[in-house]
Amino acid sequence: MAVIGIESSAHTFGVGIVENGKVLSNEKEMYRIGKSGMIPNEVAEFHAGNAGAVISRAISKAGISRKDITGVGYTRGPGLGPCLQVGQLSAKILAKRLGVPIAQVNHGVGHIEAARIFSGLDKPVVLYVSGGNSQILILSEEPFRHYKVLGETFDIGVGNMLDTFARAIRLDPAWGSTVDKYAKNGKYVELPYNVKGMDFSFTGLVTKASKLASAHSKEDLCFSIEETAFAMLCETTERALLLTGSKELCVCGGVAQSARLREMLGIMAEEHGIRFGFCDNQFNADNGAMIALVAERMLKGNCSARIGECDIEQRYRVDAAKVFL
Amino acid sequence: MMIGEGAEARIYSEWVFGKELLVKERHAKKYRIPQLDLSIRRWRTRNEARIMSALYEAGIRVPRIIALGEFTIYMEKLEGRLMKDSKPVRGTALQCGRMLAQMHNIGIVHGDFTPANIIVCNGSVHAIDFGLSGFSKDSEERALDMLLMKRSLTRDMYAAFEMAYSKFSKDQKEVLKRLAEIELRGRYQSRTIA
Repeated sequence: MAVIGIESSAHTFGVGIVENGKVLSNEKEMYRIGKSGMIPNEVAEFHAGNAGAVISRAISKAGISRKDITGVGYTRGPGLGPCLQVGQLSAKILAKRLGVPIAQVNHGVGHIEAARIFSGLDKPVVLYVSGGNSQILILSEEPFRHYKVLGETFDIGVGNMLDTFARAIRLDPAWGSTVDKYAKNGKYVELPYNVKGMDFSFTGLVTKASKLASAHSKEDLCFSIEETAFAMLCETTERALLLTGSKELCVCGGVAQSARLREMLGIMAEEHGIRFGFCDNQFNADNGAMIALVAERMLKGNCSARIGECDIEQRYRVDAAKVFL
Repeated sequence: MMIGEGAEARIYSEWVFGKELLVKERHAKKYRIPQLDLSIRRWRTRNEARIMSALYEAGIRVPRIIALGEFTIYMEKLEGRLMKDSKPVRGTALQCGRMLAQMHNIGIVHGDFTPANIIVCNGSVHAIDFGLSGFSKDSEERALDMLLMKRSLTRDMYAAFEMAYSKFSKDQKEVLKRLAEIELRGRYQSRTIA
């Protein structure tokens, strides 16, 4: 059974095809942000223009034909409304035409499950860090099987914070990965460090760092903001590991592409004798394969939706989604 | 001898001049750069010591600080049991409510006020672990102290705790109102605070 997954929660329109947990193809088109950030309607228009081509490309790259597809999955949320609509509509049309069941997937569960499955971990503590999300989670069976949030950001996600900072100090292109590049040769400047138990907050950090833009070099500020933010994530994750007694850790989401964050988590995990895993970067960036991966498991667990029931949910919390192992 | 390890500190028991003391040491974290590591550990040790002495001077039951290092606090060792390991008694809950109210009245929030951080010795309760504490009069932070207890205690025990808190707190109305607001927020409904 080949399942096709469609992801469109933010700037990426991604389509992936999975068969028995094996990724056959993973295609995407990314909206290029200029200096303005993402304007939801413009991104949605971009997705609508690319949907057909990306779907066809994914199917041909997978080396299958349309009739081999036995199920469809799409990102129900969380994400930008207009963008989610495009993925939802594409998935509905596809499912209706092919006459196959459809599964509504939580975007966060997609990232988490991709990282967990591909790193071969069983029941890890998960650090999920992306643009809009920053959470520490663990699998829980009560009241239904889901990822329980142990700690999370009080305000904005760490990726969003780095993007905001990149725009404030006029980096080009204005996003977090550029901050990561500049961070290589910086010196440390003291910035606000804000954690509370297993929760953390980033707005104070980005405000202060942006205000220092004229007093310090870009390299120094990028280095310091990254070191500070990642240390906050490591400390809270460490607390979650000790509290749950879990011996496994994985990191996922867009920010998990940062080599420095992975290095820090690795050092921390090693000190406690904890197995640490992460997946290939193509699954840390937004992609369709992770949606297909989760959809396949959902459909095997008979968790499909009628086409008329399919909707989007901009604030679909990861802990509200049922998980099928 | 090490007797406990948390995420940011190790607890040792040490004999000094014929007396058994507890030593809380914030050890270095290799994952963060040294400048950041030193500044966090130094600041937190100092902050915790400040909070503990302020509470001690106000007559609130906390371990007495004997000596202070750059990253270590030497304090008296309390003989007793953690509240989470002892039988739930109404009297204990009442004392906890009163103690938290007194803390809040002098402008301190505990930050991790749970039965795992309360020691019962000879029937009287003592608070420990001020690693997450701060000087604050913010009703949000006060309400979070209450919420932790609400999540940890049984319904009856929490009722006693809240009654005592209301009796002794100067701002109980505002705090309880904020607590109700917090509980309505999405993130706290699906989430259990450990």
